[in-house]
Parts: sequence; structure tokens; C-alpha cells
Amino acid sequence: MYLTKQEERMLNGEQGWAYQVAMKILVRLGDLYGATRLIPVQSAHLSGVSYKHLGDAAIGFLNEVASKGGKAQTKATLNPSSFDPEYLVKRYSKERCEKQQRITQLYQKMLIQPTLTCTPYYLEKPKPGQHLAWSESSAVVYANSVLGAWTNREGSPSALAAALVGKTPDYGVHQLQNRRPTVLIKVETGLKTETDYGALGIHLGKLLKDKIPAFEGLYGSDDELKQLGAAMASSGMTAMFHTRRPRKQEKLEKISVESKDIEEATSSLCTTTEAPNLVFLGCPHCSGSEVKRVAGLIKGKKVREGVELWVCTSRRIRERMRSHVDTIERAGGHVLCDTCVLVTWIKDLNVHTFMTNSAKTAFYAPTLNEVATTLAPATNCIKVACKS
Amino acid sequence: MKEPKRTLRGRGIAPGHGSGAALVSRMPLSFLGGVDYNSGVVVEKNHDLKGELLKDKILCFPSGHGSTVGSYVLYSIVKKGLGPKAIVNQVADTVVVVGAIIAEIPMVDQIDIAQIKTGDIVEVDGDKGTVKIAREAS
Repeated sequence: MYLTKQEERMLNGEQGWAYQVAMKILVRLGDLYGATRLIPVQSAHLSGVSYKHLGDAAIGFLNEVASKGGKAQTKATLNPSSFDPEYLVKRYSKERCEKQQRITQLYQKMLIQPTLTCTPYYLEKPKPGQHLAWSESSAVVYANSVLGAWTNREGSPSALAAALVGKTPDYGVHQLQNRRPTVLIKVETGLKTETDYGALGIHLGKLLKDKIPAFEGLYGSDDELKQLGAAMASSGMTAMFHTRRPRKQEKLEKISVESKDIEEATSSLCTTTEAPNLVFLGCPHCSGSEVKRVAGLIKGKKVREGVELWVCTSRRIRERMRSHVDTIERAGGHVLCDTCVLVTWIKDLNVHTFMTNSAKTAFYAPTLNEVATTLAPATNCIKVACKS
Repeated sequence: MKEPKRTLRGRGIAPGHGSGAALVSRMPLSFLGGVDYNSGVVVEKNHDLKGELLKDKILCFPSGHGSTVGSYVLYSIVKKGLGPKAIVNQVADTVVVVGAIIAEIPMVDQIDIAQIKTGDIVEVDGDKGTVKIAREAS
């Protein structure tokens, strides 16, 4: 890989250990995946923030980087943490909360912004063609497919390295020829709800692995495409999709999806028929329009006793949508920021079954949270959560 | 006991030398969730190394998988003195590569690990990308 003189110096440790180790990560990965140079990134977004997921193992490394002066050289943001600062923080042990705060503070010391959301694109939308180094897989797919920005699926450490150096190795979907579709998808059935998009994503992720699909016309809203991408990236390794058939009719492998595929994927995401004691919306974190939609569905209703309703979003959206947030909270729901079901300890909150409109959460929760799950559109979720 | 001193040639991923007893798995390994970061013991359900200590071993397995946070688990056990001395993979994946780099242990890939048996004494050269089988397990 070709390195500039300044990059060479960093690799040799002339700017200290933190930058040296970051540079070693980038150069090694670049070599491994055939990059010939590093390219500047507009922003880095880091997963690996919640104490539930990270555990104690990472604290030592993050502390070493932070104490040896590692600071982000580009705009850098953080994924959700294990609790919000108002509601869940009071329900966990002091030790857990301190560990989480320690992790967040270490990142802050590296000048990484504690945005604590998986939807950094709602805070600042990347422009088409901008290079990024993002490691939240749902955000990667959204950035590449809906926003037209360019990012590989980074891991937590490689996104940190990119933040410190301000660059990423030039391979994968940073190169135009690797962004072209490799398979054509024809959806032979109508997609009616956000969970249909999610189920389609789970179905395709398993089939496609890391192939890039082009849909033969897919006309979902941005919120629905967000569900599709998040799900695809969970059951597979997809970094992006195209919503339109490529103009040049290339010879592409074709896959058709029928209604039974969507039905099967949906039922595989329902591990119980029991009534939930937690209803969760907001994976990935809700957009403003999703918060508004939930408020519209719940207006005039009351969350039933023995059931919790969580609507997870970023602080920015929570502030911007204040009146809708009030509507949800007046009905007895909790609009939580900085966290979500997957990165917190819902089992310790006595949740035995939960319902969600997120195929990604339904896909991961039985293993990551060890609880039974039902996938249902937001309209059903609110019906189940509220008194009739 | 045979003393064949075979050398397997692969690709150097992380520099350095490490030698010791091989611990060989036929299955992919996820460090996050699969290895306990307090003890360095493999805890992944249904794994052929379940219950094994990684300490001072030359850890040979086909490939890594799972969360990229696994890199930090490898770093953590190595810093505690509970980690492997070197890693040998069939196919390097990002999680293990980054883990070996930050933990500063040698790593080699593109090795046919079927050639190595648990208990073989092997020498890994992460610069040259070689794995020398110095003594075969009886």
C-alpha cells in the first residue's frame, strides 16, 4: 500500500502509540483487502459503545488509546449505550452505570461525540459521494443505499482507527466498480407494512451474504427502506442495495421473492404467541416521521398496566418532536434516547416476551437478550400495548 | 516420536515470533461471547474447544466470525497473560486480524490447519508467514 510521508511517520510511531496502532490497523486491513492507498473520510461512526455488548474487555484498550493522547481527526459519533439518562439508568446497579459512563467518557476524551444513536444521519446527513467509515451495519446500508454516501461495513476497532487517523483504506464500496449490483431481485408480492420490508430483508440477507442487490423497482419510504437495510445487514453481510434496476441490462443472477418467503421470514421472527410485557419501537432509532406516526396511533389511548412501551430515538429527534413525544408520554409510553432493547439488559427488567416492529431486533433478541419475540407492525404494537 | 520439522508456508498477518503447543479447532471461533475475557477459556456452546484454556497456546482455527468487539476480547486476554502466543488461521478475517494487531501477537493465515494437531510443538513466524512443526504430538 502506498503511504504518504506523514502516514509513514504515523505508522512508525512518531506521533505516539495511539496513532501508530490505529495506522497499523488501517494499513493491515488495507493490505488484506487490496487497497493501494488511504483516503480521507468525512466522518466516522463507531459501534461498540454499550457496556452490555463491550463488557470489561474493551475498557483497557480504550483507556490506553485515550490516555496516550489519541484524538479523532475527523467528525466522529457514537452508537447507543446501555441506558438512557432518565429512566433506565435508575433501574440498574451503580456498577453497571459507572462502567457505561466510563466507556462513554473515554470516547469523549478522544473527541468522539457522545451522540449515542445508531442513526447519525438524522443529526447530519452525509452528502452523496462522500466517503465515510461507519461501523453500525444498519447505518452503513442506509448511508450507501438511501443517501448515496460511500462506506464499507467497518468493525468497531477499524472505525475507531479511521476516526483517529481521519482516513480509511480505499477498497470495497469506496470504489465505484464494487458498488454495482451483482444480483437482480424481483419482489412478486405487495409490501404493505414496515415489517414486510424487514422480513424481506431477513430473507434476502440469508440468501445474498455480501452480494449487492438491485431491486426491480422498490418504492418504499425512507423509513421502510431503513427497516429493509437493517434486516438485510443482520442476517447477511450486505453493505448496500439499489432500489432501481440498473439502466444497462447487465447479465445478472435473478432472484424472485414471493409472498410465502415474506410469510416464512415473518413467522421465523415470531418465537412466541404469548402477550408481551414490553412493546418496543425504534430499531433503528426513530426518525421524526416515525415518532409522529406513533404519536398519531396512540393519541387518546393509555398503555395497559403490566406492559411497558418504549419508543427509542436520538436526543435530537426527541427535542425536535417535543409535542409528539408529549403525546406518547401522556399515554404512558417512554420515549427513550441514547439506548435500545438490543444494547440493554431487558431480561433483568423482568421482560419475558416483547413485541417489536423491527425485524433486526426480532432477529437478534432471542440470542442477545434471551427473550421471546413477536414481530408486528407499529399499528398492531400500539393496539397490543394499549387498553382497548 | 517423530521429528519431521515440517514447515507450512502461508501469509504473515501480524509480525513477531511465537512458539508453543498447538491448540487446533476445526470450527470458526467468535471471540465475543465465545471466549471468556476473564479466564481466557473457550465458552462457545457446541464448540470443539469448549472448556479449553488459550493461555500460551498456538491457537489454530479456520477463521474468526461474529462481532468486531471480539478484537478487544483478544487484546484483553493477552494483556492479562491469559491469551494465546500466536494465531494461525486458514482465512484471516477482520476481527482476528485487528485483535492480533492490537494485542501484538504474531498471526499467520493461508495455512492448511489440517496439517497441525493439538499438542504439536509449533513455531510461528508472523514476519515470514510460516508455521514450523518442530515436534509432533505422539
